[in-house]
Amino acid sequence: MCTFLGGGMQADEDKESTMQWQDEQRGGAIVALPVGRVDEFTAQGFSAYLDASVDKAAGTPSKALIVDMAGLDYMSSRGLRSLTLAKRKADGAGVTITLAAPNGVMREILAISRYDKIFAVSDSIDDAL
Amino acid sequence: MLVRFWGTRGSLAVAQTAKTVRDKVAHALVTAGGRSFADDAAAKAFIDAELDFATSGTYGGATTCVEIDPAGEESAFIVCDMGSGLREFGIDAFRRMAEGHPRVFHFFLSHLHWDHIMGFPFFGPAFDPASRIIIHSGHPDAEQALRRQQEEISFPVPFDWLRAKIEFSTLEPGIPYAIEDLTVELMQQHHSHVSYGYRFTDSDGKVAVFSTDSEHKIERMDGEADVAFFFRDADLVVCDTMYSLADSVSMKEDWGHSSNIVAIDLCHEAAAKRLALFHHEPTYSDEDLQRMHRESIRYEELTREDNPLEVLCAYDGLEVRL
Repeated sequence: MCTFLGGGMQADEDKESTMQWQDEQRGGAIVALPVGRVDEFTAQGFSAYLDASVDKAAGTPSKALIVDMAGLDYMSSRGLRSLTLAKRKADGAGVTITLAAPNGVMREILAISRYDKIFAVSDSIDDAL
Repeated sequence: MLVRFWGTRGSLAVAQTAKTVRDKVAHALVTAGGRSFADDAAAKAFIDAELDFATSGTYGGATTCVEIDPAGEESAFIVCDMGSGLREFGIDAFRRMAEGHPRVFHFFLSHLHWDHIMGFPFFGPAFDPASRIIIHSGHPDAEQALRRQQEEISFPVPFDWLRAKIEFSTLEPGIPYAIEDLTVELMQQHHSHVSYGYRFTDSDGKVAVFSTDSEHKIERMDGEADVAFFFRDADLVVCDTMYSLADSVSMKEDWGHSSNIVAIDLCHEAAAKRLALFHHEPTYSDEDLQRMHRESIRYEELTREDNPLEVLCAYDGLEVRL
């Protein structure tokens, strides 16, 4: 498991937040399991992990990346836009990205941002496989 | 400091149709449920207490024009942009000048696109020989833009027929300017032909930021710390929130505008106190804008880490005292 400790513009202790990342191959797809918060401090690491997972998904039979959102407390616009950057790369590689099992907060954020209109969202990883 | 919104719509002025007004009246009557009201005051009390804004009012349709009133008796008028809202401001300025307000106007232009300058040919004080108008802009071609829109093919009254004393002043980012009782700074923004945001600080330390027509590019998120710094600790940030985040990164990418989501994140990062959603999409109805306002308030609650950010939805006629 990888952990990204975000610093940022104000690198004081109170402002630090963490986001952990793990991915695995399951059912012919890559399933990514981020845990924590994606904000201005951790978005850069989130984006790098996403990027690497798209590369891994491109080498799988189903060319599918499923991001398990269940472990994410919340995501700011930086994280959402990182998803868009990953989707652009994925589209170029023929990889589909599905956002799976978002919690209530994440569901609201995806709806308010209208990201549920530009990403496939599933209730569970099994539904996405 | 008092901030008055004279025009809040983006790109193109809009007007409510008879059908829209009829729908609002019908909804109000149904909500009243057969009640009667003794007088206008009682009816207005019902409106305030029981009707939502999309029913009882309208976000308005004039294009961008925002007054920064330092509230000093001897202060000149301070106005951001010359959209179609400028016509109403000009009428009100005549009223205030008749009461003794100085006949001096400082304009600060975000950029020179038509929706941001179209009000100037209809700005009454420009025809007043006793008025002095100073037009500040980050663009050295501001005078060319204003003259061109009054050339014969577009408008019957040429710029040279205006009787006020009109001056142009080109400002540069990174330099604090002392103008009247305000300190004014500007920041270059990403937009076609570039745009500029303005930060106004009054003598009491109150800060209003005017940042419209600014796209925060998805490939340059690391540069947003500079924007947050420009917004830092502001009492009010007036921010371009024309599109949803999804639209701004997909079909409307490179159209030069931002979203409510990014505006809230930037204001959180900047520890700003209030955000005014602004430069409304012209195809949005009052119901659409009210929904966007409610969703923005909810997103702010969901992502808040420190002090709350008050999220307002600007409408023509809104006044915010800082």
